Amino acid sequence: MSILEAHDLRRTFTTTTGVLRRNRKEVEAVRGVSFAIEPGELFGLLGPNGAGKTTTIKMLITLLLPTSGSATILGLDVVRDAREVRRQIGYVFGGDRGLYERLSALDNLRYFAELYAVPARDQRARIGELLELVGLTGREKERVEGFSRGMRQRLHIARGLLHDPALLFLDEPSIGIDPVGARELRQTIAGLRDQGKTILLTTHYMFEADELCDRIAVIRTGELVAQGTPAQLKARVTAGSVVEVETFSGVGETDVRGRVGVVGALAGVRSVVVDDGAVGETLVVQVEPGADVTAAVLGALRGIRVGRVVTREPTLEDAYVQLVSS
Amino acid sequence: MTGRHEVGARQGGIPAARRGGIRAAWRVLTVGGVISFRGLFNWLNPYIYVPTMLVSPIFQILLFVYIGRSAGVGSDSFYLIGNAVQYASIPCLFAMANTIAGERWMQTLGIVLSTPANRVALFIGRSLPVIANGWFVATFSLFAGARVLGVDLPVSAWPGIALTIAIASASCTGLGLLQAALALRVRSTAVLSNVVFGVLLVFTGTNVALDTVPEWMASAGRLMPLTHAIEACREIVAGASLSAVAPLLLREAGLGAVFAVLGLAALRWVEAQSRRHATLELQ
Ligand SMILES: Nc1ncnc2c1ncn2[C@@H]1O[C@H](COP(=O)(O)OP(=O)(O)OP(=O)(O)O)[C@@H](O)[C@H]1O
Ligand SMILES: [Mg+2]
Repeated sequence: MSILEAHDLRRTFTTTTGVLRRNRKEVEAVRGVSFAIEPGELFGLLGPNGAGKTTTIKMLITLLLPTSGSATILGLDVVRDAREVRRQIGYVFGGDRGLYERLSALDNLRYFAELYAVPARDQRARIGELLELVGLTGREKERVEGFSRGMRQRLHIARGLLHDPALLFLDEPSIGIDPVGARELRQTIAGLRDQGKTILLTTHYMFEADELCDRIAVIRTGELVAQGTPAQLKARVTAGSVVEVETFSGVGETDVRGRVGVVGALAGVRSVVVDDGAVGETLVVQVEPGADVTAAVLGALRGIRVGRVVTREPTLEDAYVQLVSS
Repeated sequence: MTGRHEVGARQGGIPAARRGGIRAAWRVLTVGGVISFRGLFNWLNPYIYVPTMLVSPIFQILLFVYIGRSAGVGSDSFYLIGNAVQYASIPCLFAMANTIAGERWMQTLGIVLSTPANRVALFIGRSLPVIANGWFVATFSLFAGARVLGVDLPVSAWPGIALTIAIASASCTGLGLLQAALALRVRSTAVLSNVVFGVLLVFTGTNVALDTVPEWMASAGRLMPLTHAIEACREIVAGASLSAVAPLLLREAGLGAVFAVLGLAALRWVEAQSRRHATLELQ
């Protein structure tokens, strides 16, 4: 049996603007999402800002009622059996809020241990284990207000695991964390996966999803547009290669943005994107299988100062960009 | 493992799961209540606590005592008792709103509401430290105010006073619970608490005896917390026995219970509304 099954979940929000003349507007945040998560799986939900990831999670963790559709966790209905579902899930979101600032890390954990009905005699050992797992042993007596973002995030994860949930929801846990902290966080998440925890993760970092997820679903404007392993997604979307050209634009004629149309029209080119860098730009050209377009692309860039040129395999990010922008 | 569970599954007729649920709710009520009060009541810092909780009530008492003296109405002890007991509403209203609506600012509300914790135990648990604090503040105000003004409160009256103030704090916290539920919805806690405080100051007979105000005001006041407790406290200081004021205390406690039940119902409604209409912007 799947740990989680979502069937055609939908959620509409009604927003009103104006004080006297109320204008009602309907936002269809989630428009028929279905997926399943198997035991022990680390499932990634990817999508641009506002795609409906958090809304989907909120329906699954019983904070929001679906407008229609249904979902079960361990066979329990998220609407009908909400309280039972809550015992089975852990919920962690990114950012530095969501903790009692003036309490110590230990008291934050003790409080949620009570809310999750962790028996008093097991609490000490459980909290000790979790502090060890997230690398906060020795800091537990300090107030959270003095914690860095990374420490807060790890404390959040410990909190989400207190009652040993069957399914852990991680909504953008790595947001705003420095590269070293983010790597440690990935190690922690990978460790949980290796212990057999079932996890639903959202992130905007494709390498993170690629490294961690067993399976990924891509959501765009409330609908799933693709589902599969990272390898399947890469293969499905971009069988081919990617040419990246580093450029240093001037103004007007020598601005690389003015050449996107020309490059895009070249035979063998699938799509072109300009990424702004610190000093120059990177022109990312998706190439059809078997085509060699490097010379033609450089020709089209005549007059613009060009740096490094590399041809590489498509990444999950390439696949993702194509999925959500098509 | 399962065998042991089955053997212990029934004891005294209550199924094991239910006993576990009761024990968990009890811990949420007691241990959880105290931890969350410490985490959310942001006046526990001495630089805020001493001026607002221990010094301000003395000012309020002195202000009304001197107004009373210059107008030549009421005794010092009338104003002292009225204002000291009424001041319990500051900790009870503000702390209750703080400890519930404060979750919104901390963005912990979504996490708390995604736990299976028993909601009645969760919210009542937070109100117990609020009641204790309200009791301490009002009792201290009465004691310190009496010393400053030289009002003699007989030692024999103190047990009755202490009990009356405890009931007053509890009933005022009941109102605080209702107000906290509203504050969750309207996103402002201080505005609401200030308004309720003002209403209580005028309507509960704190400074103007209820038989001298218009009848509708007196009737409204008799439906509010503190009114009966203030009256009982004045009678106790005047020498009345506990049994003589028992009807007043019972009415005070009853009103508090009604407000607490309304508050819990309102919190339940707010949570249900939020699941339906996303009204709480839970993280
Ligand atoms: N409480 C709400 N009221 C009205 N609209 C909402 C509400 N919550 C979300 N929305 C809308 O629903 C859509 C989906 O939002 P959601 O937060 O689920 O996106 P997301 O995929 O989590 O985005 P992000 O990556 O930025 O976190 C957005 O258009 C958002 O504006
Ligand atoms: Mg989101």
